[in-house]
Amino acid sequence: MAVFDTPQAAFGALRPVCVQLTRVQTVENVRQLQAHLAGVSGAALQELQEYVLFPLRFALRVPGPKQERLVQSLVQCISSVLAATCVKKQELLQELFSELCTCLAPPPSSGKAAPLSEELKLAVIQALHTLMHSAYGDVVLSLYQPSTLPLLGFAVSLLLTLAEQEKAKQIKISALECLQVLVLQCDCQEHRQLDEDESQQCGDLFASFLPGISIALSRVIAGDVKQGHKTTVSAIRLFYLIVGLVMADKQLARIPKSKEKLPVEHSRISELMIHRGPDWTKSTAEKLSLLLHKVVESSSVHPHWKVRLELVELVHHLLRNCSQSLVDSFSHLLKALVGLVNDENSEVRSRCNKVLQEISEQRIVAQSRALADVLSENLHSLATALPRLMNSQDDMGKVSTLSLLLGYLKLLGPKINIVLNSMSHLQRLSKALVQVLELDVTDVKIVEARRSGPPGPLQQGVQKGRCQKKYFRFFTEEKVFQLLQQVCRVLGYYGNLYLLVDHFMGLYSESGLYRKQAAMILNELVTGAAGVGVDFLQEREVPLNVDDLKGSITSILDEYMDQVNWYLVTSNDTEEGSPEQSVQHLGLTARAGGTSSSVVLLSPEPPVTTRTINSNIWQICIQLEGVGCFAAVLGKEFRLLLLSALYPVLEKAGDRTLLISETALGTLADICEACAYDSVQCLINENSDYLVNGISLNLRHLAYQARASQVLDTMLRHSDASLLPLVEDVIQDVLSALDQSYNSQASTFLRVLQSVMTALVQWFGMPSAEEHQQTDKGHSRALSQGQQEVTMTSQEVERFFLDYVSQKQIAEGDLPDLEEEEADDAPLAKPEPNTDTEGEAPMPSHAQLARDVMERCIHLLSDGSLRVRLKVLDVLELCVTMLHPHGNHLLPMAHRVWPALVTRLINDDPLAVLRAFKVLCTLAQTCGDFLRQRFSKDVLPKLTSSLLSQAPVSARAGPVYSHTLAFKLQLAVLQGLGSLCERLDMGESDLNKVADACLIYLSAKQPVKLQEAAQSVFLHLMHVDPDSTWLLLSEVCCPEGFEPPHASLQPVKLSGMGRPRNELTDNVLLLLQRLQQQEATGPKTSTQEASPS
Amino acid sequence: MALPPPDPQFVLRGTSAAVHTLYFSCGGSEPDIPLLYSGSESGFIHVWNLRTHRVDTALDGHGRKSVYCVETMGGKDRLLSQGRDQRICLWDLAEGRTSVTDSVFTEHVGFCRCSLLKVAQGRWLMAMAARSLEEIQILELPSKTSVCTLKPEVGAKLGMPMCLKLWQLSCGSQPVLLAGYEDGSVVLWNVSMGKALSQLVCHQEPVMSLDFDSEKAKGISGSSEKVLSIWSLNEQQNLQVYKTHELVNAGISDITIRPDKKILATAGWDHRIRIFGWKKLKPLAVLDYHTATVHCVSFSDHSNPRERLLAAGSKDQRISVWSIYAQT
Repeated sequence: MAVFDTPQAAFGALRPVCVQLTRVQTVENVRQLQAHLAGVSGAALQELQEYVLFPLRFALRVPGPKQERLVQSLVQCISSVLAATCVKKQELLQELFSELCTCLAPPPSSGKAAPLSEELKLAVIQALHTLMHSAYGDVVLSLYQPSTLPLLGFAVSLLLTLAEQEKAKQIKISALECLQVLVLQCDCQEHRQLDEDESQQCGDLFASFLPGISIALSRVIAGDVKQGHKTTVSAIRLFYLIVGLVMADKQLARIPKSKEKLPVEHSRISELMIHRGPDWTKSTAEKLSLLLHKVVESSSVHPHWKVRLELVELVHHLLRNCSQSLVDSFSHLLKALVGLVNDENSEVRSRCNKVLQEISEQRIVAQSRALADVLSENLHSLATALPRLMNSQDDMGKVSTLSLLLGYLKLLGPKINIVLNSMSHLQRLSKALVQVLELDVTDVKIVEARRSGPPGPLQQGVQKGRCQKKYFRFFTEEKVFQLLQQVCRVLGYYGNLYLLVDHFMGLYSESGLYRKQAAMILNELVTGAAGVGVDFLQEREVPLNVDDLKGSITSILDEYMDQVNWYLVTSNDTEEGSPEQSVQHLGLTARAGGTSSSVVLLSPEPPVTTRTINSNIWQICIQLEGVGCFAAVLGKEFRLLLLSALYPVLEKAGDRTLLISETALGTLADICEACAYDSVQCLINENSDYLVNGISLNLRHLAYQARASQVLDTMLRHSDASLLPLVEDVIQDVLSALDQSYNSQASTFLRVLQSVMTALVQWFGMPSAEEHQQTDKGHSRALSQGQQEVTMTSQEVERFFLDYVSQKQIAEGDLPDLEEEEADDAPLAKPEPNTDTEGEAPMPSHAQLARDVMERCIHLLSDGSLRVRLKVLDVLELCVTMLHPHGNHLLPMAHRVWPALVTRLINDDPLAVLRAFKVLCTLAQTCGDFLRQRFSKDVLPKLTSSLLSQAPVSARAGPVYSHTLAFKLQLAVLQGLGSLCERLDMGESDLNKVADACLIYLSAKQPVKLQEAAQSVFLHLMHVDPDSTWLLLSEVCCPEGFEPPHASLQPVKLSGMGRPRNELTDNVLLLLQRLQQQEATGPKTSTQEASPS
Repeated sequence: MALPPPDPQFVLRGTSAAVHTLYFSCGGSEPDIPLLYSGSESGFIHVWNLRTHRVDTALDGHGRKSVYCVETMGGKDRLLSQGRDQRICLWDLAEGRTSVTDSVFTEHVGFCRCSLLKVAQGRWLMAMAARSLEEIQILELPSKTSVCTLKPEVGAKLGMPMCLKLWQLSCGSQPVLLAGYEDGSVVLWNVSMGKALSQLVCHQEPVMSLDFDSEKAKGISGSSEKVLSIWSLNEQQNLQVYKTHELVNAGISDITIRPDKKILATAGWDHRIRIFGWKKLKPLAVLDYHTATVHCVSFSDHSNPRERLLAAGSKDQRISVWSIYAQT
């Protein structure tokens, strides 16, 4: 079809059709017109606009009932004309507007809406929509005059009815969109921006419709979900747009006091006009608040996310435009907004966050006291309900409740202080937090979990910044705890730190019930105050004052580390826990006068339940974590506080409760990092002066000695020799403290002594003793090689004989050869410490210490408690090792130790006997000669005789025997004897004694364990003297005959040959076999022939 | 029942030698760090930072010979120290310097501490034991000009001076010297005239230390005996015994009256520090911490009375710092 560009051509084309239509109004004619219109260019049509519209409008205006289809096609045609052209005349606009509206109007006779077809309705709505868009800016405004109010009202009510009552989604949505255009809030960008006066005018005008629109829309919004989310979204959008327009703070602020008089002719209209004065604003806001509440309630839980997103926009829009006029509604709105922060849809979440961000950035809350009040009111009621909600809700519910709380706090931002300054608010909030954070203290494992043995090097297993997993009474979800953490941090970030710290310190000391929670909160507050790990929306106004922070931290630390709060009963272990408990009581009574909080604990014998202990353990852990937090917050500044803080933490690192010691180690790691030390060892080393100070001061009090010694223990374990000069006087203090309380504190001090000695051995350990042995071994190896090759050739027999002669000479003490050999060996050996000069030189301080410690050991060797004796024996061994290079000092000490040690060896618990054997072995390395005689004189006879006398008993005994003390003793002696003989290098006669005594234990009648132990004795004997052992064993039982290598030699006759199998046979054969193996692999195993000189 | 004596507030370790003298410098206001100077047997002067409780600097200027007197001369940057190398050194410590600016060779072999008195801005008088046995020399510092030499009358047989105390009643008045001698007597010298005003035999043994309260015109001295002797100075400038106080254990190595003249502290050979009320010499406390002879005691000059400290240095190489009777 040809396109008509010029108006003339178009006129020519359109004229017949228009005329036709004017004459006969049929659907067919309208269609023809429409068809022709398609061929006319926009510009041409503009010229002919009114001409073309005329027949269409005429057709609409023709009185009498019309065909619906005709009306529909007319309306569609009009709208296509309008779509292509602009309306430039006010009259035309108004007339078209009213004509289109009339199409939808019910016939005047019936009261209700005409039962028009849906297509028609849609067509009209779209036509209206197009009309509004085709009108020029100024022209459009002519619609918004007081005089057109009735017309507008009519249109609005029509559209609202459609939106509300129609079933078809399309119509509903179109109606709502059309309304949106009608109130000049179209989404498209084509419209001219209204200036202030104009929009003010529109606002005045729309105020009249506000009640109708808002009520109808709220109904739509709250309507059935089935209407589709689009409808709801548009309704919400329209709602907030119109409310935002009418209730805009900017406009309301400009409303004059009294209603302006309109010209007289408009008097009826002026009745319709609304004056948006304060009274009206107030009452409208109240009503809107109800509606908004309804809207928020229904849409915040709407299943479709777009609806929820639109709700966020609603809050945003209203908050931006109507924060004053609608202030009462904000409690709902903000609640909705904050609640949506955790929406399941990410878009909603992010938008919500952005809006929140924007709100706080623009300081909407900060600038408006009223909003802050609303928020704080919300906060108050939420805080009140919080404990109940936490009790009743499931974890998801708790998360949303808490994020609400968090959102309020974040929104309040710097205004938090308004809330905090109100005592009732602060109290509610803090009580709520404290209650929610209540820990679950029923877990018995925490109480039972003990540190097993001494902890390894600190570095291992220490994960910095790791908090112990806590178990709460009211929730299990980790997210809940994180939210609570954030709540506290945000409080700390914005709030007045002094006020908060003061308040929670009050709670902390108020009742043991709150203490843990309050401490937890305090930790988070401080963290937040420093701005660490806080998720905030806007920067605080006043930057943090480091001195304030330091002051707060110092006071919290003082409180945490106060005797009453730091030293709690954490163990109900009667054996080792009791000293600590008594410490506890002492500590308490000492300060009973001062503190009121200790009154509860002062009851004569407070029953210590597992619960209490668990709770105490947690409290200490939380406080320890706090110390870590504070360090992290202060960084290097914390170094100054180490003076008071390091000692208590280290004390806890040595605690026997696993949880506490682990936490303390974590804290140490935190401190390390914060204060920029490379390692915990560095930390301890560089601050050892502080620690030593604490230790030495605490050692002065009986009650604290145990703890002080623990710290010393820890310190020694993680330090090196450079520490010694500092620690020396403290160790002397320990010794003198020990001197004053041998009875009560022996076991605690022994632990320290042990660690002192272990450390010393580690730092100054002298390897010379072993080297010494090495040379011996090399020497003996040469000898044993000689023996080994006893083969058949005559040369070898000859050599054997020569060897034998020389051996015999050696045995008789004639040592020319040996000396020669030793002289050969000497250059190989490292120069041994010269014992002669050493006696004159002053002993190094570590050796002096070892001697001092050894002296104490002498006294303690006969302590009543087995545990103590065992410890003493251990320490003694270390001392001996330490003094090893200082023979001149060791020998007198050994002399003094001997009597007590003998008693341990022959007359004590089997365990002690075993350890005593070990000590003897160590001693033997240095003072072999010195001991050999004494041993064979004082100890050996008793041991052998007891072994001999007990043997028949054990041989006869039943299985129960292995539980008796006698058995254990036998076992201990047998287990220790062998190695001792070897170490002491016993003489032949003594060895025989030992062998005789042990032989009967090889009997199959003996309990298996004793047999094994006896075997071990013989194995050791084989090392010392394989030949005689072989002989001895072979005397008992000899499985094979021996052919002499040469006929001139007499046949060997051993008494064991050909004996019938007896009880000893099995074990003896086994041993012989082992002996043979040993000889075969001779060079590898060592046989000690030469005595260590 | 009396409270048990308190523990030291802190113990300073690390001199690694016996401590012979202590001197506080805590008068400065907030940004200034309170300091404690200690002189040790190994010849080092340690400057302790009382906030970190650590040694800031160690000064080595007496050839590893024992330092037995340390004092500041107006501010913490100028220090005077006296050592067994028979020298008195003047130090400049400003801006981290550690240099000896000047020194006086005393030629005295004993261990009599010198005594310093500020007579005007930037001018000090210093009394010190001189080379010849019984003499005391007064120098003006920093010019080092000799003011006078105080010689006892011929045949007085006082022995060596053991301790000195220069003082003046008020600013501008005549400086007066109190000197304790080996024979147990205390002599009051008029410095400007160079003559002895009064002599009092307080002890049978050498006077080890003395301190004087010019307001009450009363002094106290300790010796190696079991007795503390309190004496007063009347208007005629005569010394007379006021009172004696019997001790449990013999030997006092140092006596100091607190600047506010309320209490005094003694350093005992029995390892103990004793605190007395100065007014009536009422025994207040026995501080037991050290494990060897206490060589010196010193009170701090904090401007806030609550922060006041007492420090004691001992042969056991430790310096104990006490906060005691700070409230009164």
